[in-house]
Amino acid sequence: MKPVKIAMMGMTHGHTRKYYQTLIENQKLDWVASCAADENAKAVYELYKTGVPCYLDPEKMLSEHPDIEAIVLASANEKHFEEMKFCAERGIHILSMKIPTFDMAEYDKMIEMVEKADIVCQIELEMHYNPVVKRLQQEIASGKLGKLLAVQATNITLSPVWAFPWQGSPEASYGKRVPLAPGDKRFRGGALCDHPHIFDLIRWLTGSDFDTVFAQVAPNLRRELEVEDMLMAAGKLKDGTAFLFDPSWSRLEERLKVPAPGWEVFPKRMEVNLTITGEKGMIQCDCFGPNVYHNGAPNDRYTVQYTYFDEWVGLIDEFVDCIRNHKQPKINLRWHKRTIECMNACYESIQSGKTARV
Amino acid sequence: MCEKMNRSLAFLRDKYGCPAGEIVPGNEGFELALPDGTRIPLLPWRVERRFVELKKIIDGKTLEDVSTFRFASFTAGGDSVKSAARELELASFLAGSPVKQLFAVRSTDAACNILARLANGMSASVECGVKLPAGADPMDRHEIIARRGVASDRTVDTQVPQSSIYEWTGSGLQTFTDVDTELFGLPNDQIWIVRAAFAVLMKPELAAEWTKAAAAMKRYADAVVRSDSENQPVQL
Repeated sequence: MKPVKIAMMGMTHGHTRKYYQTLIENQKLDWVASCAADENAKAVYELYKTGVPCYLDPEKMLSEHPDIEAIVLASANEKHFEEMKFCAERGIHILSMKIPTFDMAEYDKMIEMVEKADIVCQIELEMHYNPVVKRLQQEIASGKLGKLLAVQATNITLSPVWAFPWQGSPEASYGKRVPLAPGDKRFRGGALCDHPHIFDLIRWLTGSDFDTVFAQVAPNLRRELEVEDMLMAAGKLKDGTAFLFDPSWSRLEERLKVPAPGWEVFPKRMEVNLTITGEKGMIQCDCFGPNVYHNGAPNDRYTVQYTYFDEWVGLIDEFVDCIRNHKQPKINLRWHKRTIECMNACYESIQSGKTARV
Repeated sequence: MCEKMNRSLAFLRDKYGCPAGEIVPGNEGFELALPDGTRIPLLPWRVERRFVELKKIIDGKTLEDVSTFRFASFTAGGDSVKSAARELELASFLAGSPVKQLFAVRSTDAACNILARLANGMSASVECGVKLPAGADPMDRHEIIARRGVASDRTVDTQVPQSSIYEWTGSGLQTFTDVDTELFGLPNDQIWIVRAAFAVLMKPELAAEWTKAAAAMKRYADAVVRSDSENQPVQL
């Protein structure tokens, strides 16, 4: 199979660096160029010495590499619409970061553009390619637990805002400046916007859809932020399954400009755990690990070091397969829309103090 | 069960010279019956050492500016609403502030999820379920997240409670977690009931405090049921 000529754009997203190894090693790809949003993003990109040329102007990148077939949009949420338009108009396939947009009118236009251009648009939700989640899905599908009654899930991390400042900007992250609630000085655009995975996973694991949700913010751990960093959501799926999600930035971090060893203040920087109660039993699941531990450089602080982070391998394999074989990716814009709608409903609930229908 | 616990209580009373009292079953849990007929609800979690230490960590400002309590409790059988109300009482005890609002979703009587707001602005989540198979040890977790520091009764990067001793023999794995030398041999859940009764006998002012807390816990349970049936948050 002819390798897909691929590029990256933006280079400001927290997941940007996670693609480098896969794009270089995967023989089904030929990573030909990158295009940074600004000089800062370019400077950070160059620290990783990928050997792939980096531009600052997408038109220039395309004129130098007219054979680019696909682009990974590794940028701030507010840039996604224009970048998707740029790709769709040129028939370039898209791998979008996890939040295409929170503006549902804009979201519908994205669907229209992609379908009209007949291109692949895959959304990056890497948990789908995680082996623990795959096993979890098999165990649930086997019927051992019986009908699912309740799902609790964490998607908790440190806050990436110091390295990726757009994630602390209401406009860049949420798309506009919307106060969280009357009397609350914070705005939409924080931890919730960073953590769609568990909202997606529960749909996948249960085969059901959201019915209602109630969400609540807690006092921020980081007083400087103007977006939420601590929140929870609880609600029901249409099949009656009760859920409780924690998508907080509840793990404190050193305020590094570039992610590096020593980022953690809390020993474990990230966790996606699920507790599932069925009529016939229970499962507790940690989606990452087993891990290793150290208290070495740079801070001599006890630290959990992950041993498995290969979700991007499967994700890219699917993207290439969809491009070459004209398939629809599992996580496409239409599938992902309900997840975004539920996240928006969480914000509506926080604003009203009441349950929101999804 | 009561007889064994009362023998242990008598041992402590004798050793420390404290007044008479007897552990008796009540409607919502065990109570302390005093010679004058007064009955005081026992709140064993308030004397359980891990929670005593977590409270010290909060009260002593080892944690600064608590934001969120993340509690979970899963058991083999029982009442998920009562279990949730007890966890809310524990959060209130640790925070030193009552629950002001809660939102609950239940799935039959088997599972219950709660988001709560305390009067001091702190937030709490409680996850409860009763579907562990018969004979399984309870699984729980209590995590307190603050602007400065996180405290928990579970080790980082683990999902299940640790034991003090793991013994592998021809008959398989056996674990032991002994927590009280004076009451050595008594099951841990009974140890905390005896210690709770002993605490009230040694510190009579706890009687009024615990009676009030037990009444609040009943209100929490009622609010859980109401919130679930109305699918809206309930003010307390």
